[in-house]
Amino acid sequence: MRKLIRTVLLVDLLRGLWVTLRNQHPKHIYTEQYPAQRPKVAERFRGAPRLNINPDTGETLCIGCNLCALACPENLIVVGTERDPKTNRKVLTTFTYDTSRCMFCGLCEDACPVDALELTQDFELASYTREGQIWDRQMLEEGPRPTQYKS
Amino acid sequence: MADEQKPESSPEPVAGTPGDAKAIAPKPPAASPTPAAKPHAPKAPAVMATTPWESSLTELLKNHFGDSIAEFSSYLGQNFLIVRPEAVNSVLEFLKLEADFDYLVDITAVDYPKRAERFDLIYILYSYSRNERIRVKTMIPDGYRPKSATSVHLAADWLEREVFDMFGIEFDGHPNMKRILLPDEWQGHPLRKDYSILDVDRRWVQENLGIEVGQ
Amino acid sequence: MAGSTFLDSSELVLNMGPQHPSTHGVLRVILKLDGEKVIGTECVIGYLHRGVEKIGENRTYVQFAPYVDRMDYVAAVSNGLGYCLAVEKLLSVEAPPRAQVTRVILTELNRIASHLLWLGTHALDIGAITPLFYTLREREEVLKIFEKYCGARLTTHAFRIGGLQYELYDGFEEDVAKFCDMFLPKVDEYEELLTDNRIWVERLKGVGILTAEQCKAYGVTGPVLRAAGVAWDLRKAQPYSGYEQYDFDIPIRQNGDTFDRYIVRMEEMRQSVRIIRQALERIEPGPIMAKVPKVIKPPVGEVYVSIEAPKGELGYFIVSDGSTQPYRVRVRPPSFVNLQALDQMCRGALVADVVAIIGTIDIVLGEVDR
Repeated sequence: MRKLIRTVLLVDLLRGLWVTLRNQHPKHIYTEQYPAQRPKVAERFRGAPRLNINPDTGETLCIGCNLCALACPENLIVVGTERDPKTNRKVLTTFTYDTSRCMFCGLCEDACPVDALELTQDFELASYTREGQIWDRQMLEEGPRPTQYKS
Repeated sequence: MADEQKPESSPEPVAGTPGDAKAIAPKPPAASPTPAAKPHAPKAPAVMATTPWESSLTELLKNHFGDSIAEFSSYLGQNFLIVRPEAVNSVLEFLKLEADFDYLVDITAVDYPKRAERFDLIYILYSYSRNERIRVKTMIPDGYRPKSATSVHLAADWLEREVFDMFGIEFDGHPNMKRILLPDEWQGHPLRKDYSILDVDRRWVQENLGIEVGQ
Repeated sequence: MAGSTFLDSSELVLNMGPQHPSTHGVLRVILKLDGEKVIGTECVIGYLHRGVEKIGENRTYVQFAPYVDRMDYVAAVSNGLGYCLAVEKLLSVEAPPRAQVTRVILTELNRIASHLLWLGTHALDIGAITPLFYTLREREEVLKIFEKYCGARLTTHAFRIGGLQYELYDGFEEDVAKFCDMFLPKVDEYEELLTDNRIWVERLKGVGILTAEQCKAYGVTGPVLRAAGVAWDLRKAQPYSGYEQYDFDIPIRQNGDTFDRYIVRMEEMRQSVRIIRQALERIEPGPIMAKVPKVIKPPVGEVYVSIEAPKGELGYFIVSDGSTQPYRVRVRPPSFVNLQALDQMCRGALVADVVAIIGTIDIVLGEVDR
């Protein structure tokens, strides 16, 4: 009998609708207005790779040890070095990073002994060509410059 | 050699970094917890360091099957038995009916191309009532057609199809012995060791996708 | 179409998928129908096959870890945990307590996230759109915690062999505790929306029944098995990563139908919160990484290690030949094995029920096809 009354009065339906109604309140809005409003990603976010340079001297921190290239599961890092005849140290010449194959696992970053290679908070990596996904040393040092939209 | 100078270097000699011997990093790399492995570190034993496995179950099996079971072993606390290929199904059935191993977890294979019996066929079993897991292992040569376990465990159906797909081991008496993950017309069995990771069925890709491999 | 005459009862073959919104990916099911009734199904899978096991043979142990995240991509943390435990077993090392507790928290959070996504999409399949928005909203909170902890939301690569790579961030405990407090009332809210909803009940009760015997015969595990009345959970049966220290219940139901699986998963989310709350109290200072050689070279041998993933038993069978690369990695995916029972569950059901049944197994095609 109680069940019949509940059925006739649509109690289950009304309870469900009440839940929906409660969630209509503007404070429950979760939508992010990207790209007008840029989301703030976490500090540890693994995004666009960057090759850090010493801010004082402008020299690269990379020592050309090739550990990142060895750590990479996809073999997408190619480190080019040459030997400085005076100091006999290895000097970085080229550095390419194929972001199209990268899965941002962070193993290269973990392998780097001098914190030169870093995955940063930049997340806009789109480019118009496949070749544009292969980043050279200059691109890695400067970082991507995505278009910024204003609301 | 060159690589021994660098504590964190991988064991494979690195191509393209000649003359590492005098390269000294400006900062020493973060200390690794243990001395890094040298290129040709002390060789690990080439066989699995197993210990014999004895229990009431092994006694039961020994009495029932005798010579058909070659070995009862245990590695890192995980028990397995090696069975002659023709006895696999009866062992599985015996284990299911008499010892309550009613859950067939997985069937898989391992390819050893240099061995006369090329494949290890492995059945992983579990018993809900005993809360115990064992592996039934058998070694079969290439081309041998093991009997399908579908009559014992329904779950064997897809698992055997996957083994066939990946290794080319055909199961006798399987109701639907065809490829499961790869397309039906695909040539080759990818998890065999002679199938390189870059190999694909070029003709299939060309005919069905209309592209050259490697694009 | 087979059969042409009017009132001819010969079978009709209907192709569902691979591009079908309710197959949760690229599953193709060939349905044999007698009118509206299903008399047989055949699954065609493999559209998402990437050869993960082959990749595993060609990568080092450390390098393969990110790939396992891409199998069950809604429960990447569980995949990573299983793989790390398997390699740790091969190496005979154990993660330090702090790492183990963190692993428990993250995998349980991941279980909640996986169940939430399942609930939302399952409800969407049945025709209830609203729960999807709510569940994704709560899942977002979990993903934010993942992002703050390890820098990625889905394919987390959170664990490393031997422990953890990342130390807990400041405020991790507060974030997780806040999530737990916020989340429990939300589960009640979902139940309010669905459990008594008559459309929901009509569509799910008595649909896709799988008895305990059938579950065992097909090797079905996870919530599907528990809904059939078998109180079997690897976290209790063969505890790993310190699960034996936590106090939680295995929710079970008796009927083994789609509705019961829904109830079991809802209850599991509550139990996960219970585990997380206990784990939060257990976090203690200490190392997060066991002593693992820089170059991982396990001794020759083979192990099978399995964990209770959100979908069922996820197992890794790894054969080592003593080199830096695994000789063979076999993944025993829960979805693949559970999907096998689809035929049994669909027999005699209506076409509309097939959608409900596919949803209720909770498959992820990335894991089915690997």
